[in-house]
Amino acid sequence: MPHEVIMPALGMAQDSGLIVAWHKRPGDAVSEGDVLFEVETDKATMEVEAQTDGFLLQVRRDAGDDVPVGEVIAMIGDSKEDVQAEESPADAPLPADTDLPTGREVIMPALGMAQDSGLIVAWHKAPGDAVAAGDILFEVETDKSTMEVEAGHDGFVAALLAEAGEDAPVGEAIAIISADKPEAPVQRSRKSAPAAAPTAPPAATAPKAAPKAPVPATPPPPARAEVVSEHDRILASPKARRLALEQRLDLNRLVREGYPQPYHVKDLEILRSLPAEAAPGPSSGARRITAQVPSDGFSRFALWAAEQAGLQDDGALLAGLAGASLKSDGAVVAVETPVGTRHYSVPGRQFGDVAETDSGTAVDLVLRDLRSSRIGSVHLGPEDSPVLTVSARGEGFALTLECASHHLTASEAVALLSDFAGRMEQPLRHLL
Amino acid sequence: MREITLSQAVNEALAEEMRRDETVFIIGEDVAEAGTPFKVLSGLVEEFGTARVVDTPIAEPGFMGIAVGAAMTGTRPVVDLMFGDFIYLIMDQLCNQAAKTHYMSGGKLSVPLVLRTNLGATRRSAAQHSQSLHALVAHIPGLKVALPSSAYEAKGLMKTAIRDDNPVVIFEDKLMYQDKAPVPEEEYLIPFGEANVLREGSDITLIGTSSMVQVCQKAAEILGSEGISAEVIDPRTIVPLDEETLLASARKTSRVIVVDEGHQSFGVTGEIASRINEKAFYHLDAPVLRMGAMDVPVPFSPALEDITVPTPESVVENARRLVHGEMIHAA
Repeated sequence: MPHEVIMPALGMAQDSGLIVAWHKRPGDAVSEGDVLFEVETDKATMEVEAQTDGFLLQVRRDAGDDVPVGEVIAMIGDSKEDVQAEESPADAPLPADTDLPTGREVIMPALGMAQDSGLIVAWHKAPGDAVAAGDILFEVETDKSTMEVEAGHDGFVAALLAEAGEDAPVGEAIAIISADKPEAPVQRSRKSAPAAAPTAPPAATAPKAAPKAPVPATPPPPARAEVVSEHDRILASPKARRLALEQRLDLNRLVREGYPQPYHVKDLEILRSLPAEAAPGPSSGARRITAQVPSDGFSRFALWAAEQAGLQDDGALLAGLAGASLKSDGAVVAVETPVGTRHYSVPGRQFGDVAETDSGTAVDLVLRDLRSSRIGSVHLGPEDSPVLTVSARGEGFALTLECASHHLTASEAVALLSDFAGRMEQPLRHLL
Repeated sequence: MREITLSQAVNEALAEEMRRDETVFIIGEDVAEAGTPFKVLSGLVEEFGTARVVDTPIAEPGFMGIAVGAAMTGTRPVVDLMFGDFIYLIMDQLCNQAAKTHYMSGGKLSVPLVLRTNLGATRRSAAQHSQSLHALVAHIPGLKVALPSSAYEAKGLMKTAIRDDNPVVIFEDKLMYQDKAPVPEEEYLIPFGEANVLREGSDITLIGTSSMVQVCQKAAEILGSEGISAEVIDPRTIVPLDEETLLASARKTSRVIVVDEGHQSFGVTGEIASRINEKAFYHLDAPVLRMGAMDVPVPFSPALEDITVPTPESVVENARRLVHGEMIHAA
C-alpha cells in the first residue's frame, strides 16, 4: 500500500511551502523518521520526516518549488515498483455509498491551528469491535502534535473508511458506529471510496476559502427607511441643513410633499425641482395700493391747525385723517416715525377729540410717517394691521396702503386709500 | 521597478540604516542565530555580527528595558517584539519609561528607540497572537505610531523611524510579510504625519490603516463598478495624524468610513471619526462610520475569525448605505 507524501501544514495559516531540498532520491529506501525533505514556510525552515517505511517513489516536485499545503509531492511504496498500479484508483469499480452500514458518523476533527486535514496514525479498534463513547478510537497527527480521539458514541465499529497512514480532510466521515453489531463491517481506504464524495473539499484547495471571507450578506434593506420626525424636528444631515439655509430652501416643503426623512444633499435637488406651491387663495394674500397727492394742502392745514386750533402735533393730525378714513365709530391709530411710535385714539371726526393713548391698546391702523426720510416707495408686505405709509415724493406725498386680504376687502382697501388721499389733499374736507 | 516582499523591504531598511549609522542595533528573541521571526531579519547577523544583532532570552520586559536604557546612552536600538500581543508585557518600559523620559528629564535625555512588532488577525493564531493593539500605544503621549500598508511603506517608514530621536512603534501586518510591491533601489524616506491618497474619489472617503488599506482599495474597486466614486486614504502614521488631508477629503466627499483592524470600541476608528465630526461637521451628509474588529477575543475557529474583521464586502455594504442616504443607527 503506497503512502502519499504531502506538503504538510507546518506553520499557522500556511497555504504553501517551498521545498528547499530533498534528502532522499527517488528509489531510495526510507525508514519512518528519516528526513525526507526540507521545507521553508513564512516563519522558518523545517525538516519533514517520512511517515512510514518503504521506498521513495514518484517525486513530483523539485527543490525550489512552492507547493500548496496538502498536495501530494511523492509516494512511499512497499517496493521500488509497486506504484503504477495504484495510480488511478478512480477507475476501479467502486462500491456505492449506500453499501455502507447505517450508524453515527465519526469525522476527522479539527484539532490544530489552521488544520485542513489530519493524518490517521493508527486505529485502536477494528471493524466489528464493540466501542464505548469514551474509548480511544484512533490517533491523529496534525501539524502540531499527535492526539488520541475518542469514539464519541457507544456501539460497534461498523465501518472504518480510511486507513492508518491516510490523510483525511477535516470534516470527512472516517468511521461509522452502529447501535447494533454489524453483520458485515466495512474496512476500506479513502482511495477506494466512491469518487463522488462531496463530504469535504480536497485539502489543497481548502485554504483558498479561508482568508477574510465576506461577512454574511445582510438582507438588502427596503428602498428607504421611513422615519417619522419627532417633535416636528426635521431629520437632515448637517450638510443638507447648511446648504438649505444658504440657498433659502425650505426643508418643510419636502415634509409636506411626503418625501421620507432623513434628508441629504441630493434631496435638495428634489426640493429645487418642485413646482412653486399653489398661488395663495384670496384669504391669505397681500394687498398693496398706492396714491400720490400734492403736499401743500396738508402743509397749509398743519400751519392753520397750529395757529388757529393749537394743535401742534403732526402725528395727531395724521392719525385723525387716517382714523376718519376707516369710517368707523372709533379707532386706534399707531403713528410710526423714524424716532418712535405713538398711539392715538380717534373717536370721530373732531380733531379735538384725538388723544394719545397707551401703547398696549389694540391697533386698528398703522400710519408710518416717512416724510422726513429719503424713502420714496415701500413694499413691506402685510403686517398685523393695515399700514398706511406716507413718504415724500417729488413735490408731493406717496401714499401706500399695505394689508393682508383678511384685514380689508379689495373695495374696502380702495375706499380707505382714496378717502385718505382726498383728506390729505384737502384736509379741510375733514372738517366738513 | 523591482518588486520585493514586505519582509525584504524591512530587512533592507534595517541593513541600510545599520550600515549608515553604527549605533543602530537589533535586539529581541530569535533575531540572530536562533532563526528569525517571519524570516524578516535573514542575513543580518551574518553581516553585522552578534554584537549588533542580539539574541535574547524569552523575556520581553528584560530586553525592552535594556533597549530603553541603551537608547538613553546614545544608541539607536530596534527592538523586535515577535508578536504585537506581547506589548502587554513591556507596557512599563514603553509607556512609563521610553515615552516620558525626554519630558521628565527636561530634554536632557532622549530615547531614539524603534519597537518593531506586528498586528493582524485571520492567521489562525488564536486570541493571544492575533490582536491589533496599536490604539493602546497611540493613546500614550510621547510615542509615535506607524502602520505600514505595503512593502514600499514599510521600508520608508522604518528608515524614518530609526532616524527619529524619539520612540516610535511600528506595527507590521503579519499577513503581509510575503506580499510584494514595487520598491525603488535608491534610498527614500517617508515622512511621518503625511497621509497617502491612494485613490481619488468624489462620493465617499475610505480611510484605512495597515492591513485595511488593501480592504479599502478592493472595496473602492467594487464601488467604482457600481458608479460610486470612493477616495482611499492611508494615514501612514496615526501619531502624528495628518488631519488636514483627512478633513479635506471629508469636506469634498461629505461621507467617510474609517476602517482599522483594532477593536472598534475606544479605538483608532473612533478617534479619527470623532475628529472629522468635530472639524468637518457642516460638510457631512452622513454620519462618519467606524469599522473595526469586533469587540471579542479573536476566535480560533477560522469561520468565526474571518467575520470579526472588516472585509471589502462589508465596507462596500456600508458605503452603499451611506451613499444612498439610508438612516444609520449604528455601524
